[in-house]
Amino acid sequence: MSTSLEESLNAISQRAMQAIAESDTPAALEMLRVQYLGKKGELTSQLKQIGGLPAEERPKFGDLVNQIKQQVAAAIGGKKTELELAEMAARIAAEKIDVTLSGRGDLTGGMHPVSRTLQRIEDIFVAMGFGVATGPEIEDDFHNFEALNIPPEHPARAMHDTFYVESEGEGVNLLRTHTSPVQARFMLNQQPPINIIAPGRVYRCDSDVTHTPMFHQVEGLMVDEGISFADLKGILTQFLRQFFEADLEIRLRPSYFPFTEPSAEVDISCVFCDSGCRICKHTGWIEILGSGMVHPEVFKHVGIDSERYTGFAFGVGVERLTMLRYGVDDLRLFFDNDLNFLEQFK
Amino acid sequence: MIISEHWLREWVTTELSTQEIADRLTLAGLEVDGVSPLAGEIEHLLVGHVLEVSKHPDADRLNLTKVDIGSEQLDIVCGASNVAEGLKVAVATVGAELPNGMQIKRAKVRGIESNGMLCSAAELGLEDHSDGILELGGEAEIGQRVDQLLALDDNLIDIDLTPNRGDCLSVQGVARELKILADAELHPVATSPVPASNQEQIDIELQDSSACPRYIGRIIKGIDSNAATPIWLAERLRRCGVRPISPVVDITNYVMLELGQPMHAFDYRKLDSKIVVRPAKAGEKIKLLDESTATLDEQTLVIADASSPIAIAGVMGGLDSAIGDSTHDIVLEAAHFTRKSAAGCARRYGLHTESSHRFERGVDPELPSIAMERATQLVLQICGGDAGPNCEQVNDSALVDRADVEIRLARLEQLLGMPLRRSEVSHILQRIVDQVQDTTTGWRVTPPSYRFDIEYEADLVEEVARVKGYDAIPTAIPRLAPRSITGSEATVSQRSVRQALVARDFREVITYSFIDPANQADMSDEKPVILENPLAENMSVMRTSLLPGVLQAAQFNHNRQQGRLRLFELGASYHRAKKDQISDNPGFVEKQRLAVLVTGSRHQGQWGVDGARAADFYDLKADLEAVLSLTGIKEPFIFNEFEHISMHPGQLSSVTKNGDEIGFIGRLHPRLEQQYGFSSEVFVFELDLSKALAAQLPAFQGVPKFPSIRRDLSVVVSAELAAAELLSTVRDGLGEKLKDVAIFDVYQGKGVEQGHKSVSLSLTLQDKERTLTDEYAEALLASLLNAMHNNHGARLRT
Repeated sequence: MSTSLEESLNAISQRAMQAIAESDTPAALEMLRVQYLGKKGELTSQLKQIGGLPAEERPKFGDLVNQIKQQVAAAIGGKKTELELAEMAARIAAEKIDVTLSGRGDLTGGMHPVSRTLQRIEDIFVAMGFGVATGPEIEDDFHNFEALNIPPEHPARAMHDTFYVESEGEGVNLLRTHTSPVQARFMLNQQPPINIIAPGRVYRCDSDVTHTPMFHQVEGLMVDEGISFADLKGILTQFLRQFFEADLEIRLRPSYFPFTEPSAEVDISCVFCDSGCRICKHTGWIEILGSGMVHPEVFKHVGIDSERYTGFAFGVGVERLTMLRYGVDDLRLFFDNDLNFLEQFK
Repeated sequence: MIISEHWLREWVTTELSTQEIADRLTLAGLEVDGVSPLAGEIEHLLVGHVLEVSKHPDADRLNLTKVDIGSEQLDIVCGASNVAEGLKVAVATVGAELPNGMQIKRAKVRGIESNGMLCSAAELGLEDHSDGILELGGEAEIGQRVDQLLALDDNLIDIDLTPNRGDCLSVQGVARELKILADAELHPVATSPVPASNQEQIDIELQDSSACPRYIGRIIKGIDSNAATPIWLAERLRRCGVRPISPVVDITNYVMLELGQPMHAFDYRKLDSKIVVRPAKAGEKIKLLDESTATLDEQTLVIADASSPIAIAGVMGGLDSAIGDSTHDIVLEAAHFTRKSAAGCARRYGLHTESSHRFERGVDPELPSIAMERATQLVLQICGGDAGPNCEQVNDSALVDRADVEIRLARLEQLLGMPLRRSEVSHILQRIVDQVQDTTTGWRVTPPSYRFDIEYEADLVEEVARVKGYDAIPTAIPRLAPRSITGSEATVSQRSVRQALVARDFREVITYSFIDPANQADMSDEKPVILENPLAENMSVMRTSLLPGVLQAAQFNHNRQQGRLRLFELGASYHRAKKDQISDNPGFVEKQRLAVLVTGSRHQGQWGVDGARAADFYDLKADLEAVLSLTGIKEPFIFNEFEHISMHPGQLSSVTKNGDEIGFIGRLHPRLEQQYGFSSEVFVFELDLSKALAAQLPAFQGVPKFPSIRRDLSVVVSAELAAAELLSTVRDGLGEKLKDVAIFDVYQGKGVEQGHKSVSLSLTLQDKERTLTDEYAEALLASLLNAMHNNHGARLRT
């Protein structure tokens, strides 16, 4: 093969390689591909000279041209990838944003803290196997008082500060002063075993720093054969430990509710201090709820055999638990519905 | 009730410290609210005798006194109006420090030297407020230490008693309790019958002897009207929170505090011949000691003389028969009024007295005679006079013996959930009750006459438990019958609704169930349930809708720079029942509702979004539809134009589900927006949840095997045409082949003739059996267009 042919091929190759290396856009690269490798490209047209060569040189020449074509094609391919990567890198660089700007759209709102506490109380008791019952808020005298062993003019009525409603029919109607009438209603309709809680609004006509005329209670009732005071203590310990997520102690103190006997106030060991603080009035104990064994008179009113069955009942103030749990120091905030307050509870 | 520790310890001997006494009482159900010490020791505080009193030359209200304190005579300037020659007073001499922190120094008062201070009861920490200096009375010795004379090293124990323990409303009662709890020794005050030194009797007539089964009266003649209440007695009253008034009144109060028997004293000369215990005549009037006049009713028991009432029995005495400075002859009353007769009586007259408080809770029917002897003894000792015989009227049948109560050991153990030793229970019972008899299963006990609260076996169970200590009761976990009432899956829970709304940036509020009748009338013409005794007019009717409360919460926050509000409330509304309407409490119906309100910008203020745009009807409608979508019901909820007095008539719709109207959604009437002071439009919806939350259980239909086709279609229709009507035609026209339809644009303006609008629909078509061909789809659309044209005059927008 003549040296001049070979040199000419190498010269084309060199030029092509240099041009490829210097090209800086995919379009320029495409033009180079056409220029060298296209149907009328410089390298393609070299092959056309093959007919003028001696037969023994033709294969060698063909090989050489093809080899160069492959090299050029590879170089174009390599350069193309390089350019694409560079282009993407440039695009990425241009697409940089301020990730510290806030996201678009809205966040979530929130439950009222009293609902939040109610939900927690329900969850804990339901997990223990209690059902959830409800009853009317406008009650009659029988369910709110008499069935619960609070006859007319009982001194305990004075402590209840009852709202009465005007009614056209017979009988006295009132806003329930506690959730206990749900006990009576449930037992009137259902024989033991019974284990329910009854959450809801209750009303007392009293309004000052520590009283709102409406508040929430959760009543609990468990009636079966052989239910004891020790069971009451066990269930309440379980509930209060779970609610406060603390290994607290509970203390029962004798008290008086007309519908339970024996009756007990329940205190928890202070969850705020070890040695006495303002919240526990330096006693180490916080009064948390009232409870007791269902009074035989109540069983009589609702038609349950008090010899066969025994049971316990308790009533817990939801606002009080909420205040203790989240450190709220003013009861009245719950019903102002000030967003500055509500937004502190997710 | 506040009780003096000194007084208590006179009645009961115990080694327990003050704090131990308080703890023991608290853990036995007599909750001690606090123990407050009196002043304790006060140095340089001595009994002085006022020798001279003269006016301060430069100050009208000040006096110059010369006071003998035994060791010397001091010149002291005094500002009290009751200072007088001859008085025995508490003198804080130089160097004394009073409980309020005041240090006594030699000082000049308006130019005159004063060598100490004459003290009031308040300055010694004995009461909150005093009107003058403390008068120590004749028995005080000049120069004696006042802290010792007044026993200032005392503690006041404040006990919060439950209404069942009326028997503890006295020193005797608390002492009895402490005896039981500490197994200590009781020392009742010695009372022996006082022999009569005159024979004058008062005629007593019990007309209502079931309400007053026992009445004892006693005449004491010739008492000394100049007598003074001795300092020890006045001081004990003060410590129990009772102000000393006059010797006889103080004595009756003292006996009440000591023994628990309320007493009364009449001026004998002011009575018309006799004492009658009778029901009041309707309309009869009495002027009471507090100078108010009560008009009596027939349910009220009165003490009367032959002509008119002289006291409301067990509540308060009358002014006309009251003893005064000139009283010489008195009638002492010690009576038993039953709990039933006393119940509610004081409250009917807006009264609450120490006496009514005790009678309502029950006073020992055996106590009057003991109290009478004790009071007589004290009157004779302090005021002198001649006591007549006790005049007693009794109705034994109304004083029937209390029934015995049985307690079974097995029942006791079962109720408390612990084993007990028979001997221990026996010992506890014997400390509490008068008589304990063994039975085969346990005991039969006779409750003491003062323990009205021991009536059932359960009462004795509590007695044993509290004396043993509730701490001794073990902790157990009962076997629970699974009884969770989780609710049907075919009802969306309120909890899910709450969660859905919270996720959509709503904030829950809780508002009062009673509202202002004016706000109620704004929202509804329904006649609400009315409270008989509201706290205030603006909390006097029960809401029939949650919206007034939610609006008020919105207004509260709007007035506090909160322009964007998204609020909701879940709760009941209250209604008068219609005839024959079934409910838990006949006459009333309660409905669970959801009320939602939005006002202000659609999104929280932020960059890059049209957050500034105010929320409108359709923003809230999306929230409503999101809530309703929880039910899984595929059939569309129907929105129809609607009328409501509180809503904008052009932006209001009812919401209907399966033919039931479940609520409404709309914009608040601009009149109300203005009235509540909102600065942007307010949109609300309210749902009756009992119907709205009925859900459809998922029912699997198979997953489509063939692809769907999407077609967009824009038609021009009259601007008045409701979108729902057009959609209804689409649904009817495409039937089963329609998988989904949505309106994605509504346009009026250039290119659409006046009075018309262009509505763009996005249709998703699908056949369950085969792949839809384009030709078939085009044919479907052509027939749909035809139907739209026929029904609504619609034409394809080109």
